[in-house]
Amino acid sequence: MSRTDILAEGEAYDAGTTERKATRRDRWLTGTTFLAFFLVWVGVTGAGHWPPLIRPIFLPSPLAVWQAFLALLEHGYQGNSLWYHVGISFYRFAFAFSSCVLIGVPLGLLLGMNRTARAILEPPIQAIRPIPKLALLPLFLIWFGIGNTSKIIIIAAPVFPLIVIAAMQAVRSVSTKKIQAARCLGAGNWTVFSRVVLPACLPGIFTGIRMAISIAVTMLVAAELTATSDGIAWMSLTAAEFLSTDIVLVGVVIMAVLGFSLDRMIRAIELRIVHWSGHE
Amino acid sequence: MMIERIELATPDRRAGSKLNLEGLTKTFGAGAEAVQALAPTDIAVTEGEFLAIVGPSGCGKTTLLNIVAGFETPSGGCAVLDGRPIEGPGSERGVVFQQGALFNWMSVLENVAFGPRACGVAPDAARESAQAMLEKVGLGGFVENYPYQLSGGMQQRVGIARALVNDPAILLMDEPFAALDQQTRELLQEEVRGMWRETGKTVLWITHSIEEALFLASHIVVMTARPGRVKAAFRCRFSESPDLLVASTPEFTAAKREILGLLRSESEAAQRQESMI
Ligand SMILES: Nc1ncnc2c1ncn2[C@@H]1O[C@H](COP(=O)(O)OP(=O)(O)OP(=O)(O)O)[C@@H](O)[C@H]1O
Ligand SMILES: [Mg+2]
Repeated sequence: MSRTDILAEGEAYDAGTTERKATRRDRWLTGTTFLAFFLVWVGVTGAGHWPPLIRPIFLPSPLAVWQAFLALLEHGYQGNSLWYHVGISFYRFAFAFSSCVLIGVPLGLLLGMNRTARAILEPPIQAIRPIPKLALLPLFLIWFGIGNTSKIIIIAAPVFPLIVIAAMQAVRSVSTKKIQAARCLGAGNWTVFSRVVLPACLPGIFTGIRMAISIAVTMLVAAELTATSDGIAWMSLTAAEFLSTDIVLVGVVIMAVLGFSLDRMIRAIELRIVHWSGHE
Repeated sequence: MMIERIELATPDRRAGSKLNLEGLTKTFGAGAEAVQALAPTDIAVTEGEFLAIVGPSGCGKTTLLNIVAGFETPSGGCAVLDGRPIEGPGSERGVVFQQGALFNWMSVLENVAFGPRACGVAPDAARESAQAMLEKVGLGGFVENYPYQLSGGMQQRVGIARALVNDPAILLMDEPFAALDQQTRELLQEEVRGMWRETGKTVLWITHSIEEALFLASHIVVMTARPGRVKAAFRCRFSESPDLLVASTPEFTAAKREILGLLRSESEAAQRQESMI
């Protein structure tokens, strides 16, 4: 082994320990941000010890929100338990999102690999993409009724093209050099796809999926805007009509937690699978 | 004489050639935008030769190698390896890239075992021969690492091991050491020199460095500015010398001067081309 190579290995080790230190520092900073946010919230709402700077009707204190949450747990909301509302929303979200991933990723890969498929399907997908999907909501209600189908479709409407295009772009940006290398090592089409193109695409696909999560959560609110009487976003929306800001906030926090934990979950899966991310 | 001028495409050399390039041309694009990268190029390479190609930047060296590798199709002429016209990439031609062609999602061992497995060898046997090849290039202790965890020099060793493990009829290398630092490069040059003497593989080697060409090659081709063709060819004997410090002999300097003279005027022509664009 040459001297330069041994040095490089030492550097790699150092990079490992500094990286761990940096991660710990990042975690600490993130925690501080959340704590600061929470303290400001407590500060402006008074926490019962001083007069609130913002009236509870606009911003209830964290304690009030917590109590509203406990009350909802106990009594439910408008005839259904809180868990029912969370469950039905999660069902709509999860059904729409997982179908988009299960169908969108393979379709995107196909579009990236196959010129003919691209010529047939890419223009319509690109044409649909800029249409504001919310404008289609009345149409979906007419077509698919007021049941869960129309809600699932309205969530899928923006998410599906996003995932398809992310997967397609990921295929298109696989380095030709790597494909050439595989070919001159004797690989046929299937080996090139399964052992080179597919793994090389994974970072791009994961980025697309994570971007789609926040859009899907937003569309969940849109889906429960009208023609429904359950769901966590519906709970927030109707509570707002009665100025029950505490219940609105319970719904907001639940949706935020849903989006955030899904993002973390997918990030964790990504880190586990795509260990080479950032190294092309 | 340590170097002597020769003709590369004589009927004699063609008759017993391993790789035969006849009137090879390549034009990119069409109409007013067309760029002719290769003018008719004739080169015959005999089994066991180490042919280095030097030429000014943009003269079509990579294009030539890509045609032999099967990544590009020639616009005219033909390329024949072992009597068969080249059509598309194949495992009998091992290619070593400058950098960035390793699979970062596979361990070093899997990278090297990729070739045999793609050629139908059973996974266990493929890994065994990959392990043996990695030990040969001095990476026996790094088989479990991922390529991005290695230094540039080590990555190039993996690239060479990956190309060699398929036991190709010819090795194609496009400036494989250009991205490395001086020390690592010299070390790897010595290793490649040893490997070539040991295995007697036919090698097509593209480089910008005249020293590298003189130190490693049995034959050197100097190409003209774009459109590239063979300007001069040399038989070179420095690579046969057991002396690793052969580069500091007066003969080496004289040979370098001769080739540099040929290359200088072509580089100036290439510069003029670029400033015209
Ligand atoms: N795919 C392509 N499309 C159009 N022109 C190309 C293409 N590939 C190469 N060329 C042109 O052909 C010429 C030769 O390119 P090539 O890469 O073979 O040069 P080179 O000798 O390898 O240069 P360098 O020493 O800088 O690597 C250049 O002028 C380049 O612009
Ligand atoms: Mg080049």
